Amino acid sequence: MAALSVFVLILVCCALAPVYASWAGVDPFRSTLDAVIIVNGVEQPVMELPKTGLALGFSPIGPTWQPGNYFLGADNQGRDVMARLLYGGLNSITIAGIATILTLAFATLLGLVAGFYGGLADTIISRVLDVLWAFPVYLLAISLSVVMITQGIRLGPVEIDSGSLALPIFIIGLIYIPYVARPVRGQVMSLRQSDFVMAAIGLGASPGRILRKDILPNVSTTLIVFVPIMLALNMLTESALSFLSIGVQPPNASWGTIIQDGQSLLYTRPWVALAPGIMIVLSVLSLNVFGDGLRDALDPKSRVKLGRG
Amino acid sequence: MKKLLLATSAALVLALPAWAEYKEEHRGGTMRLVARSAAGTVDPHINYTLQYWQIYQGLYDGLLAFKKAAGEDGFTKVPDLAEAMPEVSADGKTYTFKLRPGIKFSNGQEVTTKDVVASLQRIFKVSSPTAGGFYSVIVGADACLAEPATCTLEGGVSADEATGVITITLTRPDAEFLDKLALPHAVILPADTPAQDVGTAPVPGTGAYMISAYDPNSGMTMTRNPHFKVWSEDAQPDGYPDVIQYDFGLTDEAEVNAVMNGEADWMYDQPPADRLAEIGSTYADQVHITPLTAWWYAPMNTNIPPFDNVKARQAVNFAIDRNALVNLFGGPVLASPVCQVLPPGFPGHVPYCPYTKNPDQVWSAPDLEKARALVEESGTKGQKVTVIAEDTAISKAIGTYMQSVLTDIGYDAEVKPLSPNIQFTYIQNTSNNVQISITQWYQDYPAASDFLNILFGCASFTPGSDSSINIAGFCDKDIQAKMDEAMLLGVTDPEAANKMWADIDRAVTDAAPMAALFTPKRIDFVSKRVGNFQFNNQFYWMVSQSWVQ
Amino acid sequence: MVFAILQRLAQMVFVMVGISMLVFLIFFATPGVDPAARIAGRNASPEVLEAVRISFGFDQPFYIQYLTMMQKIFVTGDLTSFVNRGWKVVPAVLDTIPVTLSLVFGAAVLWVVFSVIIGVVAAACRDRWPDKLLMILGLIGISMPVYWLGEVMNLLTQSRFKDTWFLGWVPPLGYVPFSESPKGWFLALVIPWITLSILYIGLYARVLRASITEALQEDYIRTARAKGLSETRILLVHALRTSLIAFVTLFGLDFGALVGGSALLTEVVFGLQGVGKLTYDALQNLDLPVIMTTVLYASFFVVMANAVVDVVYILLDPRVRSA
Repeated sequence: MAALSVFVLILVCCALAPVYASWAGVDPFRSTLDAVIIVNGVEQPVMELPKTGLALGFSPIGPTWQPGNYFLGADNQGRDVMARLLYGGLNSITIAGIATILTLAFATLLGLVAGFYGGLADTIISRVLDVLWAFPVYLLAISLSVVMITQGIRLGPVEIDSGSLALPIFIIGLIYIPYVARPVRGQVMSLRQSDFVMAAIGLGASPGRILRKDILPNVSTTLIVFVPIMLALNMLTESALSFLSIGVQPPNASWGTIIQDGQSLLYTRPWVALAPGIMIVLSVLSLNVFGDGLRDALDPKSRVKLGRG
Repeated sequence: MKKLLLATSAALVLALPAWAEYKEEHRGGTMRLVARSAAGTVDPHINYTLQYWQIYQGLYDGLLAFKKAAGEDGFTKVPDLAEAMPEVSADGKTYTFKLRPGIKFSNGQEVTTKDVVASLQRIFKVSSPTAGGFYSVIVGADACLAEPATCTLEGGVSADEATGVITITLTRPDAEFLDKLALPHAVILPADTPAQDVGTAPVPGTGAYMISAYDPNSGMTMTRNPHFKVWSEDAQPDGYPDVIQYDFGLTDEAEVNAVMNGEADWMYDQPPADRLAEIGSTYADQVHITPLTAWWYAPMNTNIPPFDNVKARQAVNFAIDRNALVNLFGGPVLASPVCQVLPPGFPGHVPYCPYTKNPDQVWSAPDLEKARALVEESGTKGQKVTVIAEDTAISKAIGTYMQSVLTDIGYDAEVKPLSPNIQFTYIQNTSNNVQISITQWYQDYPAASDFLNILFGCASFTPGSDSSINIAGFCDKDIQAKMDEAMLLGVTDPEAANKMWADIDRAVTDAAPMAALFTPKRIDFVSKRVGNFQFNNQFYWMVSQSWVQ
Repeated sequence: MVFAILQRLAQMVFVMVGISMLVFLIFFATPGVDPAARIAGRNASPEVLEAVRISFGFDQPFYIQYLTMMQKIFVTGDLTSFVNRGWKVVPAVLDTIPVTLSLVFGAAVLWVVFSVIIGVVAAACRDRWPDKLLMILGLIGISMPVYWLGEVMNLLTQSRFKDTWFLGWVPPLGYVPFSESPKGWFLALVIPWITLSILYIGLYARVLRASITEALQEDYIRTARAKGLSETRILLVHALRTSLIAFVTLFGLDFGALVGGSALLTEVVFGLQGVGKLTYDALQNLDLPVIMTTVLYASFFVVMANAVVDVVYILLDPRVRSA
């Protein structure tokens, strides 16, 4: 529970990003190359050329460690890293959250249909899942992203713009479906053979009723156990995609994109990359600890395992 | 020992007076170059990258060459495999060359007129990227473009093997034809070179070095051409290092570290912004900075809203703080703000800048009020604009900054960085409906038309094609007519032509099919042991003319 | 038995065909990625563009292009890149395998050794503080993005502590072939090995601890205890052996995936020219032939690993064997 509260605390802080930005008087999505701030009574430009040597390179200010005043310094557009960190966290968590819901919903649907009806439906679904499963996760995600970032998606009436957050959500939601659908299918299959379902079928209950009343409640435990694990996994995936600049698009931010911005400042301003990384570790860790507890409580024998990266 | 050495060098000086400058004591060793990645095929008739054009200097020769000299001297054309500059007929259409005898390819074959004819045909047979743009002026080129496989250039190129005379006939006079002949796409290769892209299999050349191994995933090794003898210091001098080793696959950061630690002698890529301060202070004496005849610019699509409105385009020009962009590029030492097309130091360049707070010859400050007013007048306020940038640190930073500026002057702007390899073709194709993008252009050869006519000429605009270098889709009948006139004038009176080009530059700048951003400078960061660094304005640092010991 | 193998094989082929079609469709059915203009070079005239299009067969229907590509990968082996023309893709992929194998193999040694030690120690002192500490450390390992860890490692070894005695030995980024210098090979890979293995050490230690704990409650362990065997012997010989089944299963799958290119992020961050980096570069360039080959190669390892794990499982677990 302590773990869950850590995560909730991070979430609340990130949700307060607009409050922080307006209090600090900065716009985290606008380039402010000529801004000047006051640190300890001394005026300092946010971006500065060196005064020595050949005067090469335009460097952002480092952390001032003063809340509301470029606490973590600026990035290469002169934007307040602290404000971006909070906004970025909000995006990271939102994407991971919605993607988790998508994954679980589709995986449950596919798992139920394949496991319950068996036969042709099962064969088709299982084979498609096999293909997705054998496709290395990052390769699939990167392939999809490269193409979609260029073009956006047009699926009939649904049109997702290439800069939209919906894009990484869609991609991340899609790639992990087999991870959840496979165990769900297995569980449904064994439930299908169990005495109480057999009895229900014998009594003439409709398949819909059986699925709803007998199978879904049993499967839902597995699904609940999956929630924190998938959330953690999705956060890592989102950050990796954004790090490879095929996730969230600028000037919007996520922890992954801030790490990427920070990568080009790693030698002089390491905090730009360190801070979002630490935030990712904290949130994912709290989710994993919480997920652990949840599993021990609900599903001690389960084979639900952590994903790999 | 010392005596002996003196004696040999004295003998050398006596035997070859032209070698007076060659410092024998620096000969030898391995020059180690690094780059992030390879630049594609090694076929000199096809490769169209600065990265390989630079090293082709010491590998291949054409009938003519750009002089291997430092600075602006590098723009001079000198005879190379030809004995002298060609004789040109009175109508400016026929060029007569005489082949220098006794030169051998690195495989030992002697260069004959057959090789010259075959090489000029090969430009078309392998569908060289510039076959249509540069060399279509040769008689018979039309047939070659239509049917590359059977290309003969009948009537265009003929040779007499006995006398070594080569005659090239053009369909019309072309002031830039000699420049084009001095480019790597027109170098002379053995006649039996396959008539297709050789890819990773190096072709023998006549230069001081030859490629002895090439793998785009790891590196390229260049060693001395055993059959090379100096015939002209200006065209193809001998080099200092015995081996030039070019390694690929390091990140920019790792390249910088390698040069700092002396594990590499030079990096091709520009150092990342993060490391510039360190390089500029601790390593200042290992840095060479040279202005380039190039520009960074933001083409605006003149055929779709909002930039089909000239006021909207001018507004963008007024709004951009070019100093900020210069800083993003690394500071005023590494770039200078610019408003016009032709870069400083280029033929036809006359300083001009209408888009600055106090209109003057040079840019001083942005004028946001004027920009906002222009947007208001144009009636395009509030429209959606997407900036397409490259996914590299600098281009992305500039794109992000532009997004911010466009938002400031009243547009609903977003920025989309694409992988550099995709971005350049993506922004050219009209079916992608790109409104504004960030890109660069580097000269092929020093002539105003290489910027103005290629980037803003009607002939370079092909709707629906990935190859339509007039990205703005700008086609103005009057300006085009003037450009045609200037090109014709250039054949007889280059100076008058350059004056005309200056007017055209002004006219294009006023019509604003783009926002000129800045003129970049090149930063060459070399290891401590590299001596005799010389930068040629045409093909950049002359690798083989520097020594490592 | 033969039937089972054949079925497995058919399944493998099916999956790989599916993946190759997916890759092909993703790339070719999308507008804006036509390779012709990129191959032809900047400012190519329409005639030149058309000539290139024809010479690469881009004017053919999709299914023919697909079949030609498959033939060039599997039959003639002379598929060439769209970006570095004339660069043969199949040998290029084969060339990168030693790099990836070196990386994954070394990391695997690290993660097996350390996770077994940690797992056993944690299980031995379960529910006391060493167990809790180790498990939290394990979770931290699992929670770190590998690319970020790599960046931090680079920051420490290539910049901040570059000139100090304890990290000064780290060579610049990049791979050194074993044949060239075994010492250089080792030094260049130490940091990547550690970075890649941390996640798996955490994961495997936790899995091992869980299954040892579970095994310790089984009847045969009680019997062993009743026989008076020492607690150490029970833990190391009996409980550990049974627990290794889950461990080996997981190991096979992960090892297969990593050899197949899932170490992409580690390779990119450390500039190692392995399969993952090759794929990543190809994706940046949209170099379809390279992407196709590496993805097929990767999926082959994933599918193979699945099959091998199934067999090993049968061999290791007496319960499955007797059934």
